[in-house]
Amino acid sequence: MTPLLETRGLSKRFGGLEAVSSVDLRLDPGEVRALIGPNGAGKTTLVGLISGRLRPTAGEVRFGGRDITRLRPWERVALGIGYTFQVTSVYRKLSVHDNVAVAAQRGQLRTARDWIALDREAVAADVAATLARVGLAGRSSQRAGTLAYGHQRILEMAMVLALGPELLILDEPTQGLAGDEIEALCRLVRDMAGTATILLIEHNMAVVHDLASRVTVMDQGRIIAEGTPREIEANPEVQRVYLGG
Amino acid sequence: MTKGSRTGVLALHVAALALLAGAQFLLPAFHHGMLARIMVLAAYAVGYNVLLGYTGLMSLGHAMFFAAGMYGTGLTIHHLGFGVGAGFVTGAVSGLAAAALVGLITLRTTGPAFLIVTLMLAQAFYLATLYFNTLTGGDQGFILTGLRVDLAGLRLPLTQPAVKYNVALAVFAACLLASLWITRSPVGRVLAAVRENEERTRLLGYDTARYRLLAILVSGLLSGVAGSAYTLLFSYVGSTFAGILYSIYPLLWTLLGGAGTVLGPLVGTLLMTYIVDIASDFTTGYLFVVGAALVVMILWAPAGIVGGIRARWVAWLP
Repeated sequence: MTPLLETRGLSKRFGGLEAVSSVDLRLDPGEVRALIGPNGAGKTTLVGLISGRLRPTAGEVRFGGRDITRLRPWERVALGIGYTFQVTSVYRKLSVHDNVAVAAQRGQLRTARDWIALDREAVAADVAATLARVGLAGRSSQRAGTLAYGHQRILEMAMVLALGPELLILDEPTQGLAGDEIEALCRLVRDMAGTATILLIEHNMAVVHDLASRVTVMDQGRIIAEGTPREIEANPEVQRVYLGG
Repeated sequence: MTKGSRTGVLALHVAALALLAGAQFLLPAFHHGMLARIMVLAAYAVGYNVLLGYTGLMSLGHAMFFAAGMYGTGLTIHHLGFGVGAGFVTGAVSGLAAAALVGLITLRTTGPAFLIVTLMLAQAFYLATLYFNTLTGGDQGFILTGLRVDLAGLRLPLTQPAVKYNVALAVFAACLLASLWITRSPVGRVLAAVRENEERTRLLGYDTARYRLLAILVSGLLSGVAGSAYTLLFSYVGSTFAGILYSIYPLLWTLLGGAGTVLGPLVGTLLMTYIVDIASDFTTGYLFVVGAALVVMILWAPAGIVGGIRARWVAWLP
């Protein structure tokens, strides 16, 4: 099977620090992959290289068999890579509806090709369907900045979902959430997994167990282990650097 | 945004324009002339607001676009014998061309860098209008005579107050409706997204630099149209209008009325022009009064007048 996402020898150096060091990562279509590791392991840098926010010092990124190393972030989004930020990033002053509409109309443009052909009704329908799917339908006209924190995280997921992505990169989606909010978010991720491949950075091992089929562990810019959640927990090297065994 | 407000929004702005159209039959001659001038300047402020209010870019060089419209129209009429219509089109295109130049140079800049670069380019343009004074008349400028439009067999001199007022109204209405249309379109939504969070917008698939360039082009075009109309209606071209003061004015008008509101630029221009007019009856230091008015605004109504009304009472106001 051709992997959906593949990095080959991907490296990123910041001055004297090699934050990501020759990483080979393969994601098969349809899987939910967790990316774990201690703080400073290079997880956010790695997904930054995959989403195009950062340019690699060496190596390449392939998506659907195509080399996308030279593509800009917005071009990668157009190919189907969606990204949610570690720090919640929504348009606070715009309505919930408009937040999702910015993404939904970009999704529509992939087929419409230009603004003139954009079907506004279809965008509105997309927004309504997406908000219903994530459970924010009743808050459409509310300003995003006035939503509870947990709802803002869900809104950002809705925005990325409205792009209709093939690959979803979620950078610590449960960070700062309380117990029942985490549960709601996990339900949403499981739902998203039905239509997209997911790469999930996560610290909460219960969440990793719940969602991920495979786990990749990073430490000091390198991948040190990969396997099912059970195998990873039994791995002595992982226990030493991360799980505090 | 409440449901069904689309017609409400359009009705509000058409009502505002109808109010301006009706005012000409009630106003005494002095205020009649004053309002004609205010409408042209408000069209300029509307152009400025597309960039500041809806895209979040603060320019200190918009006089370059206004003056490009002015010189594009004035020079071609004065030296090449263009008619009013051809002169107007040349002015609008000049505003657009100046905006394209500035937009391409500033493509990668935002915030303070954008402010400084626009200021520098506009100063260069201002100095050029002085340097080429054999053509432009420098700071003395030059006067155009015999400007008129021929409409359906009627010869309408642009110096006649009723003609002046209604042409000014038409130009203002066109700029206002254009800005309303753009800001409420899907493209306007992307511009607001760029203003609110550029990085998020890039990662929703938009090449944000291109949208900033688009906003600069629209803003420059509207400013050029306003500059051209000013020259045609007041028969004058001069480098004063390329100076720094005419870059600061639209910023003040927009902030006073409310950046990011469609009617704000009109309200701001109206108030500020009258404040300046009344203050200059009492003192030559009228800019001091302008400054004081701004300090009061920033302390008690940072969102501007229309912005304050929207925040407090009418949330659906565009």
